Amino acid sequence: MEYEKVYVFQPESERPAKRRRVEPQGLQTSWRRRRQVFDRVWSGQQQAIDARLDGINASTVNKVWHFLERAVLDEQPGRIPTGIILTGADGATGPGIAKQVAERIRVGKHRRILLSLSSSSGTNLKALLKTLIVKATSRRTGSSDDEELDDEDDELRNPRSTGPKLLNYDLQLLQDHVREHRTEQVIITFEDTEAFDGDLLSEIIELLGCWQDRIPFACLFNIATSIDFLQQRLSKAAVKALAGQVFDVALSSVEVEQVCEAMFDTDTPLWLGSALMSTMLERQHDYVVSVDSFAAAMKYACMSHFYANALSVFLGLEAECHDIAADHVVAVRQLGSFKTYARRLLDDHQVAVLKEHLESDTALRLLVRDKVAKGRQKLSAMVQTLKVIRLVQQRLPHTPVSSMSSLYVQAMSGKLIGSPLIRALLLTIRKAPSNIVVTLLRDLMAFHTEKHTPTIPDCQLLLTRFEDLIESQKHSTKPLRSEDDSQNTTLRTTVVAQKVELSKQKSALSEQDKKYTELLGILTSGIEDIFASNLVNPTDLIFHEIFVYDLKSPYREVFTPRPRHAIERALATPHDYLDCDCCGSGQGDEHVEATLAATQPATAVLYQLYLESGSLINASDLWQAFQAVLGDGGEEAETMTLFQRALAELRYLGMMKSTRKRVDHVAKVMWQGL
Amino acid sequence: MGGKLLLPNELLLMLSEKWTCRDQQLRQLRALVSYDRIGVVQPKLHVQATTPSTVVVYGPHATGKSRVIEAYLESHVTKYAIVNCRECITGRHLLERTVAAVTASLWIGKSEADRDDAYNGRCENIAALVVHLQKLLKMHEKFVLVFDGVDKQRESPPTLLPALARLGEYVPGLETIMIVQHPPPRFLHQTGVPYIHFPAYTRAQSIHILSRHPPDIFLELPTDVPDYDAEVHAEDKAWLWSRYCAAIWDSLAQNAARDLVSFRAICTKLWRPFVAPILAGDFGTRDFSRLLVAQRRLFQDETVLLDSIIASPTLAPPTATGQDKPSKSSAAHELPYYAKYLLLAAYLASFNPAKTDALYFMKSTERKRRKKGGGTARSGGRLSQKRQVPRHLLGAAAFTLDRVLSILHAILPYDLRGTVDIYTLVATLTSLKLLVRGGGLGAGDALEAGGKWRVGAAVSWEYVQGLARNVDFVFADYVAE
Repeated sequence: MEYEKVYVFQPESERPAKRRRVEPQGLQTSWRRRRQVFDRVWSGQQQAIDARLDGINASTVNKVWHFLERAVLDEQPGRIPTGIILTGADGATGPGIAKQVAERIRVGKHRRILLSLSSSSGTNLKALLKTLIVKATSRRTGSSDDEELDDEDDELRNPRSTGPKLLNYDLQLLQDHVREHRTEQVIITFEDTEAFDGDLLSEIIELLGCWQDRIPFACLFNIATSIDFLQQRLSKAAVKALAGQVFDVALSSVEVEQVCEAMFDTDTPLWLGSALMSTMLERQHDYVVSVDSFAAAMKYACMSHFYANALSVFLGLEAECHDIAADHVVAVRQLGSFKTYARRLLDDHQVAVLKEHLESDTALRLLVRDKVAKGRQKLSAMVQTLKVIRLVQQRLPHTPVSSMSSLYVQAMSGKLIGSPLIRALLLTIRKAPSNIVVTLLRDLMAFHTEKHTPTIPDCQLLLTRFEDLIESQKHSTKPLRSEDDSQNTTLRTTVVAQKVELSKQKSALSEQDKKYTELLGILTSGIEDIFASNLVNPTDLIFHEIFVYDLKSPYREVFTPRPRHAIERALATPHDYLDCDCCGSGQGDEHVEATLAATQPATAVLYQLYLESGSLINASDLWQAFQAVLGDGGEEAETMTLFQRALAELRYLGMMKSTRKRVDHVAKVMWQGL
Repeated sequence: MGGKLLLPNELLLMLSEKWTCRDQQLRQLRALVSYDRIGVVQPKLHVQATTPSTVVVYGPHATGKSRVIEAYLESHVTKYAIVNCRECITGRHLLERTVAAVTASLWIGKSEADRDDAYNGRCENIAALVVHLQKLLKMHEKFVLVFDGVDKQRESPPTLLPALARLGEYVPGLETIMIVQHPPPRFLHQTGVPYIHFPAYTRAQSIHILSRHPPDIFLELPTDVPDYDAEVHAEDKAWLWSRYCAAIWDSLAQNAARDLVSFRAICTKLWRPFVAPILAGDFGTRDFSRLLVAQRRLFQDETVLLDSIIASPTLAPPTATGQDKPSKSSAAHELPYYAKYLLLAAYLASFNPAKTDALYFMKSTERKRRKKGGGTARSGGRLSQKRQVPRHLLGAAAFTLDRVLSILHAILPYDLRGTVDIYTLVATLTSLKLLVRGGGLGAGDALEAGGKWRVGAAVSWEYVQGLARNVDFVFADYVAE
């Protein structure tokens, strides 16, 4: 081989075994299975979420569609039919309704083109028109075209057979295209209307208005702020050219609610805990975040559970539970909830049972399977109970209906039972008049048969008793009043020995009213029982670690990172990241962080000096301070190089810039801790 | 220039019948623009008229310039082309379209085979246009080229107008008509160009023109009145409409909508509400004065003068009332919590001078703050000599990002975790034009250190007050006055 200068490399047929261990060990062995479980679980949920989100704006899409249909039939000369879709700040970024409208166009009977323009399509009129024409002429028309037809069109389009060549921003091209394809409507959607320059938007609208008699345009604007704001920004001629109608899409909070409900409705094996859920909901409420991001956060939570928690393998199909590796069973014995369970068994003197669970893997596997199934049942019963709470709230007058998500958060934290909300609810039921209570009871029963929500035992019997009671007092059309109703008590003022005494006086109640109050008592205690039995604290359930996921930090790290804080911290305490021996003298000591040392990276040193100075920094002073820190050991030229590089890096990070006020100074741009 | 023949006056009469109140302009046109339409009887002309090569037609918006010219050319001239400059994006586009329009008009009446397909030459500049026109019009004695709205041409080169005015000097037989709104003096750099003025319509003229086409009072003729047929209806509506138009002119249009188009728009907008009592049977069709008094509210409400994308709900036909609901609930599309606070902070940063920041936003006790600045600010008790415009009436000042973030931290009731969401929020609000980038160095580059922002035009004092009320923030405490 040595004498050959060039040779053909022929690898051996078998590749050498890789040195790294490919086969997972220990708890990692179940990874593949966990991923399968995740795939199965999430695909179901994703479908449910998608279905909900598509359905939520169905009525708006219908309206927009009808509007467009009508625009084809009766045209207003000189004015462009315009749909203005109020999306709110959250929806302004996404494709929104236009996507669903595009779906309709594909199946609609008229030939239409849907073109979407965003503010990035072009910064001037020419570029915008170019994009528009390119999009229009390269796309198929709405109705399903045959391949044959398309081929013909291609020939027609590219070299214009008649007339001179046209500039690529000439709308004549679009007109020819429309004529050739017999398109009946050209719909232009402005995705982020606000981001467009006002003048540019006015110009293009005016231009489209000019061509309206030759090209049947229709516009859709996505608006995040308000119509008035849009009108302010448009020129008068542009406003005149538009004949608009407003459409409203669902609020982002409603969308979030729908996603939550989709998650509860599907038979999900994994439940998100209250801390995580409330963090996610809070972010959704506080910032401009699209609902897709919320769904993504849910998916991420699911993924982190199944990928990182080996015990989630128990959430798989029941038949697969038998062959779960032994080390997983050992891990189950370390769970906190198992330990409490064991303690309880000991307290109950059921030592034999505990011993079996500790010694026999099979027994424990069975126990895990049963208890996990039971726990999941408990939780879904809890969610059903939340629906009952909402139902009761809806039926009672003057009671605000809590959102499903907020109830869920409270319930998962175990604080719902005994909360003021529940107590107030029960009190209101006690005061409710008979007509309301009867409808409530009927609805409860209907809900029970439809959606299997928990209900009161002997519900039917109670209802008949109520109805009998109402029947018995036919002579009055007034509903029966409860004894606890404050309308039946009057305040009585008496003056005794020059002191005013207030005393409550119950007005006389009929016999029926008293009976009614009695029945109400039964009903209230029944509902209270439902709440007490179903609103469990999830952390009291055994093996809740397996089917409840409540870790906030992965979510926070991934979805709400703090880039600026990270940079500032890295520059302030480089040792934490470098883990070098030279400056790690006082580990864990907070005060050591701020000390300057020559061993630190030059940028970090300069950053410390930067923090200490005011808003204008004299470069020469900075250099001298820097030199003093780095010491006299090095050559000056070398130190200067370090200094200049550090300065350049700080500038690159956007921390300082040169200023025109003083030539030899740099201006401080960023302040710490913002 | 074969037959220097005078046109029969009938044709002109026909035109002026259609375009009323434009007789004088039509006569001027006939004198200035040569006509060669074959097929009309052309009697002998006494005087040999030489036509100017350029004519400027000017007048305010909606005075019938383009339509009259078009109608005149259609009936009098064989070969002409009209270029609508509003549709041309660039100067080059105008030139290309001119060539295309001339070619197209020359093709009219020719068979497919005769058409000069090879004519695909580029037309980059005015010199090229001259060459093209010379080539195209070689065989033609007379051609009229109209540039409609050429003063509104986008991206036009400065020499465009004078050059177009001189086209006739290079291309024999070409006559150029330029339609402009308000020509500045000597804008063609040429003397002796004849102008035709289209003045705005007077009150009588406007009402006269409008009353030629009265709209229906009854969409369906009433069945309960036996003698009321279409003829009576036509009489009634003509009678009522002209009076109604006069009333509209006197009350609303003479001040705010003097041009014909907006006058007509207002008249048609208010017509259905105006005749609604007649439809309801409260008034007869000839009870104009009583109707006017009953409906005086319509003539007082000036909101109809404002253009709006959405048809205003009060005037919309009753069938459309169902659509009012969404506009009400649209108020529910609110900004998220931190977005509101960020806008408040941005407003403060824009309208408070930076030097007072320490006064208003320092996290010190109330007493200290007052001691520091509150006393000195208005200690004199006398008004200062310099009269100052209130700050919120002035334009927004630019601020750096860190200043607004500091103010945000200061005004928030509790600590904020500075995550990436805040920066996303800044970007989102910028794309919504509630915050605007601008001011300072490197305004165009988002990555430039020390870039500056301003609050957008939509964030007014009232808007911010609304936001502050919404989040229970005592805004007045922080505004420097």
